[in-house]
Amino acid sequence: MYNPFHVDWPHYLPDIATGIRWTIEFTVVSFVLAAVWGLILALARGSRLPPVRWFSYGYTELFKNVPIITEIFIIYYGLGQVGLTLGTFSAGVLSLALFYGAYLAEIYRGALLSVPETQKEASAALGFTSFQITRHVVLPQAVRVALPGTATMLVDLLKTTSLLITIAASELMNQAQTIASETFRPMEVYIVIGAIYFVMCFPLSRLTLLIEHKLAAGVALSPMRRRTLRAIRRHNAVVDAAGAR
Amino acid sequence: MNVACGADYAGAVTIRRLCKSFGTTPVLRGIDLTVGAGSIVCLMGKSGGGKSTLLRCLNLLEQPSEGSIAIGAQTIFDGVSRLSVREVVALRQHVGMIFQSFHLFPHLTAAENVILAQTVAKRVARGAALERALRLLVTVGLSHRATAYPRQMSGGEQQRTAIARALATGPTVLLCDEPTSALDPESTRDVLNVLRALAHQGMTMLVATHELSFAREVADRIIFIDGGQIVEDGRPDQVIDHPEQPRTREFFEHVRRRIDGPLLK
Repeated sequence: MYNPFHVDWPHYLPDIATGIRWTIEFTVVSFVLAAVWGLILALARGSRLPPVRWFSYGYTELFKNVPIITEIFIIYYGLGQVGLTLGTFSAGVLSLALFYGAYLAEIYRGALLSVPETQKEASAALGFTSFQITRHVVLPQAVRVALPGTATMLVDLLKTTSLLITIAASELMNQAQTIASETFRPMEVYIVIGAIYFVMCFPLSRLTLLIEHKLAAGVALSPMRRRTLRAIRRHNAVVDAAGAR
Repeated sequence: MNVACGADYAGAVTIRRLCKSFGTTPVLRGIDLTVGAGSIVCLMGKSGGGKSTLLRCLNLLEQPSEGSIAIGAQTIFDGVSRLSVREVVALRQHVGMIFQSFHLFPHLTAAENVILAQTVAKRVARGAALERALRLLVTVGLSHRATAYPRQMSGGEQQRTAIARALATGPTVLLCDEPTSALDPESTRDVLNVLRALAHQGMTMLVATHELSFAREVADRIIFIDGGQIVEDGRPDQVIDHPEQPRTREFFEHVRRRIDGPLLK
């Protein structure tokens, strides 16, 4: 019987495991940094100080309009040339965080702007301070708007870690290349590696879709809100029962 | 300005020579008005006449340009010094506001809207806030909608929730900015019934409205505002039925024509 699989996969399992581990590490660390950096940039964009706004605008446009591979090379090889040598991991994480920070900043900014002024006014009229307005009214609404775009960026970032092959990071794509060059079976190897990327990314996409649906259906995601809603229902059930008697 | 935070906001609302301009456009031009504690004043007049701006000055959502305002014993604006952030926050807990378009928090259920007003603005414990929220929802006739989101409620239900939310901080004065202008007749009736009940409980209320029957029945006084000035001020039957000023007469004739006119037949 024809067997399309000729590569001795069990033999390469440890390499693939290493690749997956690095891919996940690059993704998680870069994404956390990008999320924080993006939020800072988004808030800077609404700053009262013009230079802060200009910096945020210029930065975002710059990083949105230069290919990430160029950026990776500048940070890894370019900085190395001028004496600032970064390790593969630092260079990779820095490139991804700076690049995706710009995209996330755009998503966050749109989300913050999507909360109407009247919401801030209504909460001010209740006696909320501006910090309380941001914390309890603007951010919870903005998060719901930002969630789909943010999730798309997370999946995109995971796939983009494959470009770090160019600076010899030991992530999944690099392992694939090694295996392919040892076995001379690029078709089989890259299809398997592609499948592994798919298996990592697809659940992420589905998960965020699920969260979106839950939010849209009004399901409380925070434990505190769940408790509050349960307490309200319990209270009303008691009142109804008392009323029926 | 010597205002303590736990200060006494109970008592009359006293407005003296109040002016407000947006840029170079004057919107309020010397408003003098005293609203006694527990009385209900309806502000009537054409859109753009300054009704909203006057209400919004009373909780400092708009900073007046000139004049003075006192709520009870508290001077909240005197044209010289400004209230601190803490004082403004305290003021707004004593002076509630209802908006034409409700402005409920869309990400929270009805009960949570009322709870948040207490836990955030007044730092009430969650349990106590919840109890009070559900009691308030009962008073506006919405206990069965406690876990509904604003988008699942009718306009009238949203506005009644907004009233419960405004009452949650325990205000002594309620400012209503055209509370029924965005509602159908049935919802309008429900909302006005709630406001009427509040009036009977002694809440001081300033209501910008076009509802003649509500004004006639509930208001102690009607203030007719046009061009940023008080044109007429008196008992409802005086102002509506026997206005002295031509501008007032013209306005009420117009309002009546719209009600009796072919549109609603």
